[in-house]
Order: sequence, then C-alpha cells, then structure tokens
Amino acid sequence: MEMKMTIKSFSTAVFFAAASALAAPSFADTITLDLWSRADRSGPLRAGNIVTSAEQLNRMFEAAGSDTRVEINLVETNNKGFDADALALLKAHSIGETPDIAVAAHEWIGSFVEAGLAANLEDHIAASPWFYTDMIPELWTSVMYKGERFGIPQDSEIRMFFVNNDILRDAGYDQNFIDELPGRVDRGEFTMYDWCDLAADTVKKGAAKIGWVHRPNVGPDFQMAMASFGIEIYNAEEAKLQITKSGLTKYYGWLKYCVDNGSLPADMTTFSWDSTHAAFRGGDALGKFHGIWNVGAQMEAFGLTGSKDYFDKLTWIHSPAAEKGGEPKNLSHPIVYIVGETENKDLAALLVAMASMPVPNTAHAVGTNHTPITYGQVSMPEFQEKGWALVAGTPLLARAEFMPNHAKIGQYNAITYTGVQAVETGEMTPEEAVDMVLEELEIELGDDVIILD
Amino acid sequence: MKATRQRFDAVLFLGPAVVLMLAFFVAPIVVNILVAFSDMNQTVRFEEFPTTKQFNKLGKLDPEAFLGIELRGSFYRALALTASFVLLTLFIFNVSFALILAVTTTAVPERMGAVFRAIWLLPRMSPSVVYALLWLWVVDSAERGLLNQVWLLFASEPLNLRLDHPMAVIVVANGLIGASLGMIIFTSAIRSIPEHLFNAARVDGAGPLSIVRHVILPALRWPISYITIYQALALLVSFEYIFLIMGPARSTMTMAMLSYTKTLAPGIGGGQYAYGASIALILIVVGIAVALLMWRLINMKSLLQRPRIEVN
Repeated sequence: MEMKMTIKSFSTAVFFAAASALAAPSFADTITLDLWSRADRSGPLRAGNIVTSAEQLNRMFEAAGSDTRVEINLVETNNKGFDADALALLKAHSIGETPDIAVAAHEWIGSFVEAGLAANLEDHIAASPWFYTDMIPELWTSVMYKGERFGIPQDSEIRMFFVNNDILRDAGYDQNFIDELPGRVDRGEFTMYDWCDLAADTVKKGAAKIGWVHRPNVGPDFQMAMASFGIEIYNAEEAKLQITKSGLTKYYGWLKYCVDNGSLPADMTTFSWDSTHAAFRGGDALGKFHGIWNVGAQMEAFGLTGSKDYFDKLTWIHSPAAEKGGEPKNLSHPIVYIVGETENKDLAALLVAMASMPVPNTAHAVGTNHTPITYGQVSMPEFQEKGWALVAGTPLLARAEFMPNHAKIGQYNAITYTGVQAVETGEMTPEEAVDMVLEELEIELGDDVIILD
Repeated sequence: MKATRQRFDAVLFLGPAVVLMLAFFVAPIVVNILVAFSDMNQTVRFEEFPTTKQFNKLGKLDPEAFLGIELRGSFYRALALTASFVLLTLFIFNVSFALILAVTTTAVPERMGAVFRAIWLLPRMSPSVVYALLWLWVVDSAERGLLNQVWLLFASEPLNLRLDHPMAVIVVANGLIGASLGMIIFTSAIRSIPEHLFNAARVDGAGPLSIVRHVILPALRWPISYITIYQALALLVSFEYIFLIMGPARSTMTMAMLSYTKTLAPGIGGGQYAYGASIALILIVVGIAVALLMWRLINMKSLLQRPRIEVN
C-alpha cells in the first residue's frame, strides 16, 4: 500500500500563484525525483530534509535565471520497520520502479548493490569535499560494500547498557561504585559475568524485580554482545559473514548463566516491546540493553529534567568484555540515504549532500535523539542545549561496531536469535544450540558464511 | 448446429466458474511450484531455475534413512509440531468439543441452547488481533495476567504458560474458535433427525446416553467425517493465531509458521521466497495425502452414495 503524493511547499505555491499572475515563464524543464521513505514518526525529517533541499536548489536555479526546476515525488510507504521496507524496495526495483533516493537501514546496502539498485557514490564523495570532509569517519564504515561507498550516513545512534543507579543504591552499592562503573567496563575490568552477578544480586536483595532485559525480538543489539565474546561477524576481505564456534558457545553459555542466576528472565524472548520498556522505565529492572534514542522516554518516565538529573539516576556502560582484560563493545546502527542507479543519480546525490549539511541534519538529530554525523554539529547551540545526551554519547562511537552490509545479515541475525531463544527458554543446552545454529547457518547461507572453530 | 449450441451453452454456464477456479485456485499452486524450484530471494527475479536447492535445506538424500531422506533438525521439528498441533486441536476441540456443544445445546430448551451457541460464536466473530490480544492478557506471565490473578489466590508462583506450555496455549486458542464451526454443522444435523426416532427410543426405555449413542451419533457420521477432513486441512496451513499469540517462537514453529517467517515476516529473516514456497509445496503435498488417507479411512464413498432408507 503506497501513497504517492507530490509535495509542493507553501512557498512554491505562492510563487506559482504570483508567477501565473504575471504570465509566468513556463518551466520547460521540471525534473521529478522519486524519494522512497517509510512513513516513520521517529524521523519525518529524513524525507523532509530532501524536500527542503530541493526548494533551496530551486531558489538557486531561479537566481541563476535557469528554467530548470526539481520536484520531489514522495513515495511514502507504510511498512512496519526497515527490514520490511527494504524488501518492498527491492521488489519495486525488480519491476523497474527504482526510486532516485531512498531512506534505508545501512545493513541492506549489500542487497541493494547486488540487485543493481544502489549507485556507487565514491566519485560524488571525492568531488564534494565541501560537503563531506567533516563527516565522522567511523560512520563511513556503515555504507561500505566491498571497499566502496554506496550511501551517505543520515543519522547515527549508539547502543549501550542503561543502568538504574537507584536500584544499585537500594542494594547497598555506594556512589563510588556507581561513579567508577563505566571506567571499569571501559578498561575491561568488569566483565559480562560480573554484569549478571551484579543484576542477580540486586534481585536477591529485593532492590529490583528483574535483573536486566534485552530486546524481545531479532535485532542488531545482540551483535554487540557477540562482539564482546570475540565473534567477528564479518570478513571484509571476502565480503562474507562469519561465525566462531567457540565464541558462540561462550556467548550462549553466558546467556544460560544469566538465566540460571536469576538476572535474565527465561521468557525474555516472548516479552512484548511494551513490557520490555515498562520493565526498565517502571523501575523494575536494573539494566536494559538498547539505544540512545530511549533517553527522551526515560526522562519522561522517571520525571527527570536535564543532564545532571539524568546521570544521577542512570549510568551508561558499553557491552562489557567477556573476560577480564578483554575489549568492551557497543553498536551503532545508522540510517542512510542511498541514491538509485537511475538517470538522475547525479542530481539526487547533490540533494542528499545538501540534506546532510549541519542545519537540516541537526534539526532531525536533536528532534529524534540521534547522534550527529559531523563533528561540527556537536558545537551547535541546539546540540549544546537540547542534545546534551547525544553529545555525551558521541565519544562512545569510538568503540562502535556496525552491522555488516551483507545481503544475508537479516537471515544471519534471525538464525543466531533462534539459538538465544532455545538457550534462554531452557529448550537446549548452549552446546546443542550452537550445533543447531551452525547447521542452520550452513544450510541457509551456504557459501555466504565462514564458520570458524 | 445443435452441437455448437450445446458447446456454447456449456461455455456460457461453466466458463466463469472455470476461469475463477483457474485464476484463484490453480494458478497460485502453479506459481508456488515454480517458485519452489527457483532461488527467488529478496527480489522477484529468477536467477536459477529449475533447482532443488531449497529442498536440500529441508532434508538430504540418505539411502540409510527412512524413505531414503534424512530430514534436517529444524524441519523435522516443524513437522512434529505441526502434527501435534493439528491432531490435538482437531480431536480435542474441533470434533469432540464441537460434538459435546451440539448435543448439549440441542438437549436444553431451544432458547437457552441458542444463547449458548451464540456465545460460542463470539470468538469467531471478533477480529483475530483483538482475540489474540485478549489471549495475551489472559496468559500474561506477570501478576497482572487474568489467569494469574485467579491462580495466585491459590498458589504462590505465577504461571507462565507461553514459556512452559506453548502448545497448550495455541491449541486452546485455536480450538475455542474452531469448535464453533463443528457445533453449527452438528447442530443442524441433529435438528434434521426426525422427532419420531427420539420418541420411539424413549418409548423403548432409552436414557439420554443411549439416545446419543444409538440415534444421534449414527446420524452424524457424515458431518463428523466432513468436519474432520475440512478442519484438518485448515489447521495444517493456519498460523494466524500462532503468530499473533506466540510470535516467531521456536516452541510453536509449525510448518505454516516456518513458511511465513522465511518469506513475509518482517524483521525475522524474511525475503526467502523460494525457501518458503518449497515448505508450502510440502504442505500442499501433505494436505493432499492427509485428505486422501482420511477419504480411505472414513470410507467417504459409501457416505456419498444414495441413502438406502428413505425416512419420511
């Protein structure tokens, strides 16, 4: 179900009215670009910024006395989530309806390139240092496929373990312990097992009802826990997905440990999102393993005002290392613009570049709790005043992992998640789950996955 | 001339029905077979055709194994779960319980019976999402769940049915809906039994149980067979309530659910159209086999013959 609508802003309408009154010059040259975007309340400006960029460009044409005008035809879809939307986009492309610009989750870039849908943007980026020099370099990783860039990061976020300090205090931990926790995680002194022990302890002492919660469905978050256990899920040289048997065994073993010690609910995978959010925001759970865009809802739920208040109530930590001295990890999951392989791709790329400038991008990022894409944005007053949490989150990007831009990452995540489900519900031992998951990966992904011991 | 006319009439009368059958019943199965032997994935393009790649994901040839095919773990599991889901729902609810409902609601005074039957029809009339939401609230593992509110009056630990008894949850949820169809069919069949047979039985001193056994059940043989076959086929491919209540949980991943999650379910590894089609194809084959088998078992042929006694 798609609604096609043409957006003409008020100013253009006024302009047209005025112009027709003066026997307007006819715009012989109207170029219509199709913009594909989900109707997503969590980021209306992803599409909106492209539309305002087109208006800006039209003003430039007008000033230059050119007859060319750009019109954006918004293809707004009602798909539930970026995965469903990407599949719909691939279908549209395979029947010849390739949009000029699309908003998408970055891990689909591999599929888009393989299907001949996404245009290679290396030349465009090289020719536009004026637009792209200030981009946070780690973010480029998220749009790479086989060493070349096929998208422009539109926003970014950072995921972490949120910790409820009040529950720690109720369980008898002093302020010193709370203040030192992020540093201990960062240095690899506080491990995944310590995390579950800590959570179980707060449950035992009656300070928390639930130790900690993770997302109740398939998603990128698990990748940071897997990374903590040393699973490199992507082999960039061969552009293949990868899994390590020993790492997976440790990871599932850790999940079992946490269910057994009472810190992680055995039926976590059958929770609804509502009950998952409620567990943490209602003050029942010590920790939650999710992303920075939660900050707004957390402020509201806990009745907090401003950053001092917030960090007094909550602590952020990376996903801790698996063993002492290891590396903590976290994850960023950018949404990106891709440019379709169409005749208008140069113009489309230019509009994407304009929409990625600090002013429009900050309007999106601050409004929706996303971290900036350029260094310069951090110093903008808007970020300083309203985006304090995002500024605080930006340094965490240094430890960020990204989902691999591989066509089969969705399947890979779905299969490894079945192992999570089997272990947590007690249906299988970690070893059985590893065997099952590896067999499934081998069957479904075949040559696309490398299985290491 | 007459022959042409006859042919023209045949086309005129049967044509629309045949076209509809071809477009809506035969074509999807043909498309499904084509897709099952391709590698359609994420886009709607055929790269390789024909290929048995998809079926290799479900089992591999092994001369040692039963029927010469060794099934993959997950597929074997899906088959076993499907069998238990279909058999349990069918025999506990869709047939037995429907029969009990029909017999009891026709035994009580007419008005009262009608009220009870109307109540049993409610779940079928409510939108499935609403019905599923109510179920989710009933079996919620927290203390706020309806069942737990009652349960905790007598016990100390809350129940977690979706974790501990997932099959029971989907069987009961599906069964409560499924029972009403059988109930209606059986009720109308009981109503069509001539009154004088009941009177004669009572005169001969038959109690209620004997009446059920010797008068009602023989008359219901044909509707029971029909409901059994029809509902078995329906349950084989039903996944709506399983998905709404359990989500893509491993504990209730039946064949129909597996096919759905591999193809159309967003965010859980969908987009493998050919893989899903191959699972659906196996479901079609299983469905045909089950129908034929029951046909033999129930001896449908003799039921379709003209009745040997005319009751007027």
